[in-house]
This record gives sequence, C-alpha cells and structure tokens, in this order.
Amino acid sequence: MITVTDLSVSLSGRQILSDISLTIQEGKWSCLVGPNGAGKTTFLKVLLGTASYSGSVTVNGSEVFRNLKRNVAFVPQQPQIPQGMTVAEYVMLGRAKKDGWGNESIQSRTFIADILAKTNLYGLQKQMVSHLSGGEMQRTLIARALAQEPELILLDEPTSALDLHHQIDVLNNLQILQQTGVTIVSTMHDITLAAMYADRIIVMQNGRVLAEGSSSEIIHSAELRTAFDDRINVFTLDSGRPVVIAKKDEH
Amino acid sequence: MKKNQRQVSEIAPIWNWKITSLCAAFLLVIGIAAISFGPIQLSFGSIIKTLVGVKGGLSGQDRTVLIDLRLPRALLAALVGAALATSGAVYQSVFRNPLADPYLLGAASGAGLGATIAITNSHGNVYSLLPIFSFIGGTLAVLTSFFISGKFFAEPQSLLLSGIAVGSFATAVQTYLQQRHSASLRPVYSWILGELTSANWQVVTWSSFYILAALVVLISVSKQLDGLMLSDEESFSLGINPNRLRIIAVAAATLATATAVSASGLIGFVGIVVPHLVRGVTHRVTNRNLLTIALAGAAFLVLADLGARTLLSPAELPIGVITAFVGAPFFLVVLRRRRTGSA
Repeated sequence: MITVTDLSVSLSGRQILSDISLTIQEGKWSCLVGPNGAGKTTFLKVLLGTASYSGSVTVNGSEVFRNLKRNVAFVPQQPQIPQGMTVAEYVMLGRAKKDGWGNESIQSRTFIADILAKTNLYGLQKQMVSHLSGGEMQRTLIARALAQEPELILLDEPTSALDLHHQIDVLNNLQILQQTGVTIVSTMHDITLAAMYADRIIVMQNGRVLAEGSSSEIIHSAELRTAFDDRINVFTLDSGRPVVIAKKDEH
Repeated sequence: MKKNQRQVSEIAPIWNWKITSLCAAFLLVIGIAAISFGPIQLSFGSIIKTLVGVKGGLSGQDRTVLIDLRLPRALLAALVGAALATSGAVYQSVFRNPLADPYLLGAASGAGLGATIAITNSHGNVYSLLPIFSFIGGTLAVLTSFFISGKFFAEPQSLLLSGIAVGSFATAVQTYLQQRHSASLRPVYSWILGELTSANWQVVTWSSFYILAALVVLISVSKQLDGLMLSDEESFSLGINPNRLRIIAVAAATLATATAVSASGLIGFVGIVVPHLVRGVTHRVTNRNLLTIALAGAAFLVLADLGARTLLSPAELPIGVITAFVGAPFFLVVLRRRRTGSA
C-alpha cells in the first residue's frame, strides 16, 4: 500500500501538486484522469521517487524519494530512444534489478523470449529500437517493464501512441500482470478505457485530487465533469458499460 | 521444450568476448611490430629474450633503443590511445551525443592554455613542466565548465554548452599569448599537433597511474552506462542514480583525458573514430564494449605512432596528422556503411 499524506510539489516557483492525501491499494489498478496540466505525470514521478516533494509518500513505512531499493517499472509517454540498441538488449535492461547489471542469466533470456512472444514482439528481437513504429516501441516499453517483474508499474499514457486494437492488446497484457498481484498506476486520456480496466480512478485538476474511488462510482460523479469544465458526456451502453465523450460546443 | 530452446538462442547475450579477445591479440601484434620497426631494426626473437631477461638478448645501443626509447613510447601510445578512445565513448553515452569527444568540456583548450603559459613564461627547458601545466589547465577548464553549468547534470546539454564556452575562452587567451610571444609559436604548435617523442619511463609511470585508475572506474561502471541512454526516470526505475553515475563517469573520463593531453599533446580523432569504429564493426552500441574500445584505441594509436616514426623516416610526422589523415576517411567509410547497412 502506498500512503500519500499532504503531498505538494512545486517546480521553479510553480505549484504543480497541492495537498494530496490518499492511499493506493496493493494489487489494484489505479488510473489518474484529468485535463492536461492537472499534474498526472508529476504524480507518477513522485510515486517513482524521482521528483522531490513536501509531505510524505511511503511504502511500508519508508519514503519513496530516491529509494532505489524498490522495484518499480516506469513506462514514459515519450521515451528516450537509444540509437543502435536491439529490441532484445533494450528489454534485457529490465533484468538489471533482478540479475545485477550485465549478469543476465540463461533463465532471464528464456524469460525475455517468453515476454517478447507475449507482447507480439518475437521476431523483432534483432531490430534496432530506433527503427520501430510507434506501436512496436510502446509494446517494447511494456515488455521491458514486464521483464523487470516489478512490484509497482507506473505508466504515462500507455495507449496514446496505439491504434484501437493494439490499445486493447497492451491493456490486456497489463491486466494479466495485475492478476499476478502487481500494483498498477497509470494516467489515461481515454476515460472510457480507464473505466473498463482500472479498479480505482483518481480525478485530478490543477494539481489537486477532486475525487478518488472505484471506477463505477467515479465515472458518473459530478467531480469528473467538473475536472473537464463540464464539457464531457457520460453515456451507458446497453451492456452497462459507461462511455465518455467530449461535448461539442453548442453556440 | 525444443521450441523454447530455439527461442532462447535467438536472444543472444549482450556482449561477446571473442571480439574483445581479438582486439587484445591485435594490440599485442601491433605492439611487437612497433618496438621492432624503425631506423634500427630489432629482431623479434632478441626482443622477447631481452624482455624476458634470458641470455642472448640485445645489448649496447640496440638495448638502449628498445628499453629507453621504443618501449616507453609504445606503452605511452597505448595508454593515451586507450584513455582517449574510452573517454570519447563515455562522453558520447553520458551526453547522448554521437559527436561528443574527450576534449568537449574544455579539457583540450585548457590544457593548451596551460602549455602555452608554460612555454611563454619560461626560459630554457620547459618540457619537464609542460605536463604539469597542461594537466592543471585542462582540469581547471573542466571544473569551470561544471561550475558555470550550475545545476550540474540536471541537463547534460547545459554542461556541454558551458564546456564549449570555456573552451573558446581558453583558446582566445592562448591565441593572445601566442601573438604576444611569437617566439613560442613553433613549440606550442608542435605540442598542439600531438607528439610522443618526449616519452620516457617517468612520463609512462605517472600517466599510467592516472589513466589505469580512470579506466578501472569506467570499465567497472560500463554496464550501468547503458542505462544512461534512457531518460532519467527510466534509468532510475532500473536501479541507477543517473546524476551520481554521470558525475563518476565524467570525472574519470576527464582525468584520463587530462592525463593523456598532458603526456602527449592534442591527438585528435581517436576519441571519436575508435568508439564508432568498434560500434560500426560490431553493430553494438552497448557500453559493455568499453574494454574493447580501450584495447582498440591503444592499438590504433600504437599503429599511428609507428606510421609517424617510419613513413618519412628519419624525419617524424606529428602523430595527430596521422590519426586525422587516416582516421577521417576511415570514419567516413564506417559511417556510410552503417547508414546503408543492416543496422
């Protein structure tokens, strides 16, 4: 369980996050939603331990800031893509924490082969990562995160670079991972998808958390509409699945 | 089960030791060639006997040529080559810039300024002081770059830019000093072109101390350097403290570079050509090839020095001319192959 108490972050005098207190439950998928500039990515970086903050963010009693002992995977929205590194080498970097740098075991290589097959990347292992399409790169990032066997996986817009059916592939992979007990925190612009996959939704606006709760209660909440300046509509399909779309301005 | 094994064999280990061993063997061969060839030819058998210390070795003038001239010179060339190639490769990773070279942070211009100050302000034999002055100059310039960039490594690019600014400033001061003391032009110029003629056991001893120490540090963190090719958040999630690693890597690479510059002047192109050559041949960007790059750099410079001594024998060419003359076209060929190749 991650306990966040009075979390605030300011960067060069600008307040990015203010007074956030909540808990993130172990083994659940929590999704941060909110408009651009709400502070979602910064919140992920705080949970990772790379952003400095005031207040406290603890896992099992110890602060997360610069804590290298935890095994947290991070999937950025825009990765730094190294030139001249193959897919297999890139995914293998994920084993550094388990095996130590440069000591990949035979078992790890078996594991990587399995992960590549699972993420539909098998056959591309000798490709340079710099030559991949946006969707392939996204799956490679997910594969590296899976290779890490993390306790917590943080994803910044994991589906934004993907077409519709690949979005579902990636999210399904994450769901399988979640079923093994891994905690997932992601940001997602597509609230419909967030409601489909996440257990919990955290609504953010201007660095504050407006609401936090189970997906089914948040999706119909007034806070969600407030976060998007009341410019979204929520419909419910016959199957009971909620769908969120933007309102067309009516003048 | 069978299928699974086939899969695993497709995920090759990240580094193959055969290439490293090949480079080591190549260095050995070039090294032996370098101490045998010259105006006085020495036979392979007698060299080995002399070095091992058994009967039948060289004596008299031949022995002096081997022990006091060629051996320290070849060793210094190997040390400087290894230092420049490794530092170049490390800078390229740390700054995520394939054109980064070991002289980037002002080490070269600072050392040049130090050497110029030594040459213009002294009378008589300056050459024993030259390494000290250029070492201080180079180190001061890099420290200034660090200081100016302020946030240290919050943005590697800002350090790079301040390095360029400090370098330009040092070069300007150096040019001014040269204009004021025109008699110093020739010695400064020949130092800038790089030379290994002053190699002796004293220089080899102190430079090997710093260079080997720096290389041990760099090679021991080399596997982690791969993580620096990712964003800071990603490398942190893989277990690296990116800022700390960058500081360690840049400090060690700068120590190696400053030592190399002060021992042998400015020898260009090694720091860019050799890392790219190794990467071009192996199609691997991983920093696990750092030891291979060090060995290849050593071999490259020993070979270049052999050329410098023998091509116009008995006259000597500045080694910097050889490295650029051979290195630049070779580099272009590798670049071209890499662009059109499968990589």
